[in-house]
Parts: sequence; C-alpha cells; structure tokens
Amino acid sequence: FKDDLSASPQLFTPMSPYGVDLPIQTTEDVLFGSQFNQPKELPTDFSSVDLSFLPDITQDNKEQNLSEDGHEMQKELDGSISRNKDSGIFMDESSLCCPDATQPSPEASGVCPPVTPMTPMTPVTPASESSGIVPQLQNIVSTVNLACKLDLKNIALHARNAEYNPKRFAAVIMRIREPRTTALIFSSGKMVCTGAKSEEQSRLAARKYARVVQKLGFPAKFLDFKIQNMVGSCDVRFPIRLEGLVLTHQQFSSYEPELFPGLIYRMVKPRIVLLIFVSGKVVLTGAKERSEIYEAFENIYPILKGFKKAL
Amino acid sequence: MAARGSCPGCGSAALVEDAHYAQQQLVCAACGCVLAEGLLTTTYTEEEHLREVAYSQSTGQKEQLSRCLQRGIRRVQDLCKVLQLPTVFEETAVSYFQRALQHASFHLVSLEKKELLGGCCIFVTCRQHNWPLTMGTICSLLYAKQELFASVYLSLQKELGLSVPALSLADLVKTHLNSFQLFRHTADIPAPFVEDKEKMVARTMQIVELASETWLVTGRHPVPIITAAAFLSWQSLQPAARLTCTFTRFCKLAGVDLPPPAHLRLKELLEILLRMASKLSWLRVFNMDKKTVVKHIGDLLQHRIFLLKNAFCLEDEEQRATALSEGSPGSPPAAGGAAQEKGCPSEGKRQREGSPRPLLPPCLINPRKRLRTAALSASDSAITGDEPISDSEIEQYLRGPEEIRAFRKAKAWQ
Repeated sequence: FKDDLSASPQLFTPMSPYGVDLPIQTTEDVLFGSQFNQPKELPTDFSSVDLSFLPDITQDNKEQNLSEDGHEMQKELDGSISRNKDSGIFMDESSLCCPDATQPSPEASGVCPPVTPMTPMTPVTPASESSGIVPQLQNIVSTVNLACKLDLKNIALHARNAEYNPKRFAAVIMRIREPRTTALIFSSGKMVCTGAKSEEQSRLAARKYARVVQKLGFPAKFLDFKIQNMVGSCDVRFPIRLEGLVLTHQQFSSYEPELFPGLIYRMVKPRIVLLIFVSGKVVLTGAKERSEIYEAFENIYPILKGFKKAL
Repeated sequence: MAARGSCPGCGSAALVEDAHYAQQQLVCAACGCVLAEGLLTTTYTEEEHLREVAYSQSTGQKEQLSRCLQRGIRRVQDLCKVLQLPTVFEETAVSYFQRALQHASFHLVSLEKKELLGGCCIFVTCRQHNWPLTMGTICSLLYAKQELFASVYLSLQKELGLSVPALSLADLVKTHLNSFQLFRHTADIPAPFVEDKEKMVARTMQIVELASETWLVTGRHPVPIITAAAFLSWQSLQPAARLTCTFTRFCKLAGVDLPPPAHLRLKELLEILLRMASKLSWLRVFNMDKKTVVKHIGDLLQHRIFLLKNAFCLEDEEQRATALSEGSPGSPPAAGGAAQEKGCPSEGKRQREGSPRPLLPPCLINPRKRLRTAALSASDSAITGDEPISDSEIEQYLRGPEEIRAFRKAKAWQ
C-alpha cells in the first residue's frame, strides 16, 4: 500500500476504526522515511516545546506538507489526548512525543496499519523531519540461474517474443507484456531481468521467462534469484543550486556541466549514487534493497532543503 | 622475492634474489649457495648455473619505464607546452599520469585511451589549480571524442580518488575572451567593431553573473553562455553601430566557434533582460523588444539587484507558481507594476505581461511534456511474486508449427 501513498491525493486515508483524525499518513511516511524508532531526547509534552523551527506551511504540493500537517495534527491531538482516553494509539506516551510516531503498533493494540516487511527501518538523526516525499521505484534489475545450457537459436526460432542477433550480442532478448519487462537469456543458462517496477514484479517476471524456456523444452530451474540493482526517482519540488552543492559537499559530489547536466552524488552510507538535477528531480540508483533508496533520499533531502533557503 | 628453480647444492627450492653491494645475486636461502650473479655482459657461458641476466636486473633497477609510459609522459609535456602551462602543472600532470597507468584499470586500455588519459591528467591538474581549461579545448587538442574523454575522465577521478573543484566561470570568461580577435584594429574588422578588452570583459562578467543568478547557467555548458554574453556586452557598448550585426557574423569576425546552444542562451538572456527592463521606471514607457533592450543593458546591469527583485518573485516562488497554475484570473499578483493582461494566460506557469514570473530554471518554466509513468496501481502492488502462472499466458509467447515453418522460410531468404 505504500505505493498507493504516492498516487492518492487525499491527505488522510480513513484506516483507523476509531474515527479519530489520526496522523496515519505521517506514520506511513515514516515507514518509508526510515525515521527513528525510539525517540530518546524529545520532550513528552509538546505544548511547551518551541516549534518555530518548523518551516512555514506553503500552498504547494500536499505531499511535501504531510509531515508539517502531521505536526499540526499532533498539536491538536495533544490537546485532545486528555479527553480521548479510549484511543488505543495514544496509550503510549513515548510514541506520541516523536512527531512522526512510527512504532505504536507493537505497544498499542494493533491499531496502526501493519508494517510491511519490505521496509526495514534504519535510525536517523532525530533532528531531521520526514520529507514526506517517497521515491518511486522505476527499474529493478535481477538475475537468476536457469541451470541448464540453452540453445539460443532454437529459442529465437520457437519463441515469438525473442530476438537474437549473435553478431551484435551473445544473448536472446525476450520480452513479456505482464509485468512489462525485458530479459537477456544467455546460453550458459543465466538470465538478467530488467524493467520491473517492484521486487515482486521482477521475481514474477523472471519466473515467467523461466516457464517460457521450460515450455520450449529445456529443463530450466529457478536458482539464485537476486536483485542486483534498484533505481528510484522523485521530485523535491524546488530548484537546486548545483554549483553550491558541489562546493559544500565536494568529497561526495561530481558536477561537470560540460559532461552531464546533473550532479553525481556518491553517498557513502548507504552506498547509493544520486543524480541531482537543477529542476529538483533526483534519481537514486545502486541499491540492492528498497530501504537503501528511501534512506538515501532521507539523507539527501535536508541537504537539498538547506540549499533552498540559501537562495 | 622467491625465484624458480632449485639449489644445486642442497636441492631446496627457497631461492631468493638478493643484492650484494648492489650486485644482484640469486642465492639459496637454505645453504647460501650463490646461483647467479649480475653480469656486466649478457653471454651464454659455459657454467650451466650462470644465467643470462638482463641489464636492468643486474644494476638493481627493477623499474624501467616502459616505452608506452615514456611516450605518454612526452605527450603530456608537449601538451603542457602548447597550453603554456606553468612547470608545476607539468610535473603534477606527469605524476598523475604515472600513477594512473600503474592502476589496474588503466594498465591495459587501448592506446587511444592512454592518450586521453594524459589529457585527463592535465585537465585535472588545471582544475585543481583553478586554471580555467575546458574539456572542449583538451578534446580538440587530442582529436578525441567527447564521450570517450568523459568516460576516461570519470574513471580517472574515481580510481585515483581525486577531488576536482568546480570550474570557475569568472576565470573562464577572461580566458575565453582572450581568444576573441576584436581588440585590435585589423584589416578585416570594421573600425566601429573593435572594442576595448577591459570594458568588454567587465561587462561580459556582469552578464554572466546575471545569468547565473537567474538559473541560466546551472546544468548547462559554460562556453555557449559566455559567447552569448560576450555578444550582448559587445553590442551594448556601441549599440548604434553594432545592432545590425548578427550573432553568427560576430563570431566569425571574432574568430571564435559559435556553439549551437549559444542561440538559445542568447534568447534566454534577452528574455531576462526584457523582464528587467519592464520594471525600470524610465524604460516602461518604451515598447521594448529584443533589439532595443540591448541599448539599455548598461542601465539594467547597474540596477540589476533592484530589478531582479521586482521582475521576478524570488520568495514564495512555488506559491506564486501554484497560484498561476491554478489559473486564478481574478487575483493579479501582488508585486509588480501595471498588470496589463495581454491575452489570456496559457496553462502552467506562463508569464503574463508585466506580472512577475517565478525565478526558476528554464526547464521548470517550460516543462517539456513527458509521459509520466503512472505510479504502481493497487493491483500491481498486491503482487507477491509467487503467483501461479497460467499455461495459456506462456503459450501466447510460443510459435505454432506453421508459424515456425513460415519463419524458417522467411529467414532462409536473409
């Protein structure tokens, strides 16, 4: 359902049975945004905290304001907490104090939406707030071993969706419509599957290719399926001064306008390469897991935001 | 270092190459028997254990510069002389080149790439000393393809872990203008076209700074912007005589290449200047266009800070943008002067005459209509990867027997 988030325009999806306007959206943000699990230093009572450091809420993209609206909601809810004792979410004070309360689910009586196993959380510095933007996966590259020698000419002859040009490339290029992907099948039995938009899609597509090869008469198996690379992209919605960014983060950035219009940022932890463009669009690549992309984006977002204010 | 063979004295295989008073000797580590010594001459001698020892090994010099390396170093030094670089640069570039060639990833590349590697080392050295050298210059000196140069440069940067500071636009302006042939009276340049170098450099620098502030520089090739700025500054210094001269003619007279994007940069610069001109009180009465605004570039540059603030909404850009895109015709923007709506505003962030437009890069102002891939729908995201695959679905991808026959026949013609 995380992908629903980026598609749905509404701010709050009514998922809670309690009928209280809960900041569920921020919870989801945090799942992807890999926010802190255990809020340690934050005060338990929000009313006394100075929240002036929060940015002004502008009219722009609601996605960006999700976290900010979440803060607003949190302040309102603070007031109502004393009255609303029957709401299971607010039982846990410690989870309330962090503005993007992430894990009330174990403590509270299973009220929050289930944490999908695909997004392992990694702790981040408490000072940052979730960006509210979720990078969208654009491409997954995976490999699998069919564990049998293949006759590529035979495959190209008997399969409709295959092309084989041995002079150009030593593999059969096969495509299927659903999920819309492309596979490179080598005579050794190894296969590369590209074009899927999620890990599950990639696995399903690879299985379909293996089935096609099986139906063509080869004893194909499905061994060592591994995701090799994941590419995601998103938009921070403000222009970025790349010349400034390359000055302050010289050891990570490479910006050569003569070669490429974007800035190449090699993040160390997680080991992801980001392509940052002046329009505010960011491409993240090199990930083996979805969480690395989300974590990398949450790491870069405060840096980019810092440049927005400095204009 | 252990060597092959066995000791004739004790039969052990532990042979070591060792130097005795700088004379190389092959010695058995077990019994100390000397198997071979460095000879001054290489001969096939009668003693079977005396081996032919090459000169380089006998003098103890393990390193000998390979011919390829020597040639590469000479090339680097020649390039530095052509570019008239200080000697420090030459030494640094040569050391980078040697380091790079020893690296595994560059040791076995093609000769073409090794030559480019030399050029890359010079380029990196210049950039590290803030010497404004563009890739275009190096590529033209090496007769290299830019893509190949780019890949070699990026891998060099990664392998050697070099930090290369950004290109300084100000220095590049000065260097680029140096190559313009308009600063001295010659036979083929009309008298009113000759210009004073200092004035032109100063004004070009100001226009380039203006372009940089208004998002025309980020992400773009620097040289076309400088060429366009030089043209505008040259025209504005004596507009009466020079307004009739076209950009192409200007570049031909100056003896400089006209890169294709320069026309677009010129258009964008003029658009910015026109917007600024609309905010200058004594120019508002005139109907400015691309030609006439050039006459007033001097004034515009003088008051550029004020004009930029008024002509473009610098703060709350997105708020303005969203307001414009939502198409609220009844609410004219707050800042800015006479908001005469000349025609209906088109969709998106289209500018209206007189109303400030957000200060954004051109790619955001004129977004190219792109097919946005839709986000994963709900059904897609419910895929687990382990669903059963129906036979019919797979069979649609397989050819029937008649089809195979037809395909075979068709292929036979190929």
